Order: sequence, then structure tokens, then C-alpha cells
Amino acid sequence: MESGIYLGTLARYLLTFVAMCLLCLGVYGALRLARAREETAAGYALITPWLAGFLVFTAGPILASLGLSFTSYDLFNPPKWVGLENYRWLFSDILDFWPSVKLTLAYAFLSVPVGVAGSLLVALLLSADIRGIGIFRTIYYLPAVLPEVSVALLWRWIFNSEAGLLNAVLGPIFRLIGLQNPDWFGDPRFVLPAFVIMSVWGVFGINMVVFLAAIKNVPRVFYEAAEIDGAGSFAKFWNVTFPQISPVVLLQIIMGIIGALQIFTVAMFARPTSAAGRFMNQLVYERGFLQLRMGEASAIAWVLFVIILALTLLVFRSSTAWVYYEAEVRK
Amino acid sequence: MTARLETTLVVAQRARRVRRAKAVASRTAAYVVVIAGAVVLLVPFFWMVSSSLKELQDVFAYPPVWLPIPPQWHNYLDAWRAVPFGRYLANTVFVTVLGMFAEITSCTLVAYGFARYSFPGRNALFFILLSTMMLPYHVTLIPTYMIWRNLKLLDTFDPLVLPAWTAWGPFYVFLLRQFFMGVPRDLEEAAKIDGANVLQTFAHVMLPQIKPALLAVAVFAFRGYWNNFLGPLIYLNSMSKYTLTLGMYLFMGGVNEAPQWHWLMAMSTVLAVPMLVTFFLAQRYFIEGISLTGLKG
Repeated sequence: MESGIYLGTLARYLLTFVAMCLLCLGVYGALRLARAREETAAGYALITPWLAGFLVFTAGPILASLGLSFTSYDLFNPPKWVGLENYRWLFSDILDFWPSVKLTLAYAFLSVPVGVAGSLLVALLLSADIRGIGIFRTIYYLPAVLPEVSVALLWRWIFNSEAGLLNAVLGPIFRLIGLQNPDWFGDPRFVLPAFVIMSVWGVFGINMVVFLAAIKNVPRVFYEAAEIDGAGSFAKFWNVTFPQISPVVLLQIIMGIIGALQIFTVAMFARPTSAAGRFMNQLVYERGFLQLRMGEASAIAWVLFVIILALTLLVFRSSTAWVYYEAEVRK
Repeated sequence: MTARLETTLVVAQRARRVRRAKAVASRTAAYVVVIAGAVVLLVPFFWMVSSSLKELQDVFAYPPVWLPIPPQWHNYLDAWRAVPFGRYLANTVFVTVLGMFAEITSCTLVAYGFARYSFPGRNALFFILLSTMMLPYHVTLIPTYMIWRNLKLLDTFDPLVLPAWTAWGPFYVFLLRQFFMGVPRDLEEAAKIDGANVLQTFAHVMLPQIKPALLAVAVFAFRGYWNNFLGPLIYLNSMSKYTLTLGMYLFMGGVNEAPQWHWLMAMSTVLAVPMLVTFFLAQRYFIEGISLTGLKG
């Protein structure tokens, strides 16, 4: 056994811990010397690990990657300033870049609404008092427990065109409507639906449990009032349940979009046909770490970052129209 | 008179029966949908395990073989030996234990600072912390890679575990802070009156109060390190240092190689077992964490 590969890391791990403790004490001492209040000094000392990590591993790298996106850099020669050349090259790249933007956005726009709406529907069903509901809740949760690697390999196998389970089960139906068995991950037209099916299967349980908790929190009085007013099931959902849980729906949509746009591991293991294009994060990895075009990779990462920011803002803006915050009304 | 009363009773009885029948019907419908959904969600699991126990010729059989008889348990051993998975398991455990410990420690301290101390700039800093959740990991990837390259620590486990000391899980900090804020201040004051110092108060009064949050964070951190793929992919080069996920990527083979599906399903199952076990052991904390943050493992 070569234990050498662990010892070095272990030593530096402990050293980092000691250094972090000293840094916290240092922050405390410096702030006290500068006549800060005791509480201020202690507070800053406690959050020092995060603050240090934020500066070194987040804020610094974000700015650095913005800077790199204006350069040509291959890791071995110093970065060369090229201005907007990387972006100009990307935006005219109809072979790799635009298909990957299209695929990534289409995936997010399809998988998130389908996943959220579907799990909301099932959550409404399960919120009824059904005996043995606990077992069902556990079952619905299981797909989300699987590692991404297992999920991707499992579905790649299920989608297999010759011996896959899906075509074996659905084959007779396809033949009945006169269609051939689709080749899912092997056919560019079916790659997107395949990813959406896989993702919906995976996130279904999580969204559902979150919605279930939210539905259970809606005060009973509201339903009783609605019943007195003669509301039917749909009216009760639309006028009571949905407004009450809309903040949770908003959170799930936003987290879903942020997650979907960053799809990487699943795509690397599902390995769809290259004719369907790659997701943006795959392109970042490929350009940066396989072709050593770090400038271009940084530019793609930044485009993705801007897309995520813009979509999140857009959803937040739209939320004033459909999300109901009780606290605001009470004021 | 009595006849009319009887009719009324009969009508009322019939109405009650109709109502009950309706309730039974809607309940049955709910059950049917719920069970159908459960089957659809469970069949892939069954297929994964069933495929992992098949002989090679049954793997591609049509119509599909549902139950492999007899089960080929040796598939697991064969797959495990095809690539040095034992070594990869050791590496994964090493990274996971170190990462989890540092992450939980640092996140707890930072969350405590945000929850219990008021200092100028606190809300702005907490807002920044929350907004880093939106940040795509890939945007910081290349400069971070350059940092480790300049430190000459590429192809070591350092880039995977050392940053854990910097509380780099904004969700964990958020979750722990929520719990800290729920602990009554009287408890701390009582401890102070009893002569406990800051550290004693923290360890003996605060930590037991937020145990559910600590366990939730532990479960999520475990999942995070166990399943990390991008980190090992870019930082580890020597095959002896691969983690399980990277080993799986290697095991999956090149683009042109035909995948050995019974072996891949066996290894997918092996990879999933620790996740399933922690889920069943800590289901409550897992679901609590998700309901509070909307976080997906």
C-alpha cells in the first residue's frame, strides 16, 4: 500500500486548520486593537474562514476568469491580450457554441416546468390523507438519493436502442402508431427528450416533498372559508393553495433553472451522440482542459454566468405578478 | 305519515351511500395514481439491480429477462476487479472524511457568527454569501485550477479537501444559521451565569440544540464529496489517485468500446449503496434539510 499519497495531503490539511485558527485570532486581535467593539471583533473572527475563502476561491477567480476571457492562454505561455476576440469567435461559432447554448437553454426550459408542474400535481394528490403515505413518500424520494453517476449510467442503459428497457416496453406501442423505436441518446432528435425524462425522474421526489411540506402548512381555516363561499376543488387550489405556496414554487423554479443550466456530470456519463451538441459546461471543460484554450473556456463560462443571472432576475421580476407574500399584505 | 318518514329516511340513506361511494371512488383513484407513480419510479431501480445480476447473453435478450435465475453474484466481484476499485474506494473515503469534517466545522462557526453576533456589514455579507449559490462552479474553475497549479499541488487530494476549511457550502451556512437563530438566547445567558466561557457555551449548549441541522449538513456533505466528479476529473491525473466516480468514468471505457452493461450496473449499484443507507438512516434530517432550503443533494 502506498500511503504516501495520503500523508502529504493530511499534513497540509492540519496545517490549513492551524493557519485558519491563527487567521481568526489575528482578525480578532487586529479589530480589538483598532478599538472595535468586542462583539464586532468576535463576529468577524467567526466568519473569517468564509470571508477568506470567498476572496481567494470565489471573488478573485470570478474576476480572474473575466480577465482571462479577454486573453489567449494555454497554461504554458503567459496569457496574451486579445480583446474581444474570444467572444467574437464564439458568437460566430455555429458549429459548437450556438448549438450548445441552444441545447442548454432548451433543456432548462423543458425540464424545469415539467418537473415542477408534475411534482406539484402529485404533491396535491399525496396531501390527501392516504393510509401508508409514509411509504409512498419514501419511494418517491429514492431517485433523488441515487448518485448522479448511477442515474446517468442507468438511464443510458434504459434508453439503449437495442436492449434498453424503455424500447422493449414501449416498442409495441411505437409499432402500433407506425413509428420505429427511437435511438434516444444516439439520435440527435431524441437527446433532449431523453435528458428531460431522466431529469424529471431524478428531481420529482425532491420537488414533491418540498411542495408537500408547503401544502401542509396552509392554514385549514382558509379552506373552510372557501368551502363556505361554495368553492370547488379547483377554485380552492387556485385561490387558496397556489397563492399560499407560490413562494416555494418560485424558489423551486429558480433553483431548478440554476441547476439545469449547469448540467455536467450526468451529461458526461450519459454520453449522447456528438451530433446533438454538448451542454455549455461540457464545452468549458473540453475547451479548457482538453484543448488548453483557457481564454475561450473562460469566455464560455462567463456567457453561462450571465445567462444564469439574467434568467434568475427575469423570474424574480415576473414573480411580483404571481407570487403572494402574506407579510406584504399584512403590513 | 310513517310512510313518508320512511321514504325520507331511505332517501337520506341513499344520499349518504352515494357520498360514501364517491369518497371511496376518489380515494381509490388517488391510490391508483400514487401506486402507478411509485411503480414508474421504482422500475428503473429494479432494472439496475436485475441487469447487474445477469449473464452477458441475458443482458441483451428480447423480450427482456426480468428475474435473472440464478443470479450471477460474481458479476460484482468481476467488475470490482476489472479496475482497481479497492484503491479508488480508499481514496474516496479519505477525501470524503477529510472534506466532511472540515466543512461541518467551518460552516458551523461561520453560521454561529452570522446568527449570534451583530457587526457592521453583517447583512450585506450574508446576502453575498447567499448569492454565491447562483454562481456556476465552472466560472471559477480555471483560475482556481491555476492557484493549485502555482502551489504545485495538482494531482494531489489537496484541491478537493483543503478549501473545505473555508465553509464553501453557502447552503450549509444558511441551514445552520436558521437553526442557531431558533435557539433561545436565555440558554446562553444561563450558561454564562453558570460561569461557562464562550467555547464551553458553544460546545455544550448550542451544538446539542442544532443537532438535526448538523446531521442534515453531514448527510449532504457526505453526498457532495462521495459524488464529486468534476473536481477529481480536472485535478487528479495518476490512476492510483482516482476516486470512485473517476474510476467509473475510466471503467465506462472509450467512445468506441462497447460498454459491459452487467458490470456497469453492478458498479452503479455499489456506488449507490452508501447513499441509500445514509438516506434510510437519516431520512428525517435529509427531508428536513430539503424542506428548509430547497437544496437537492
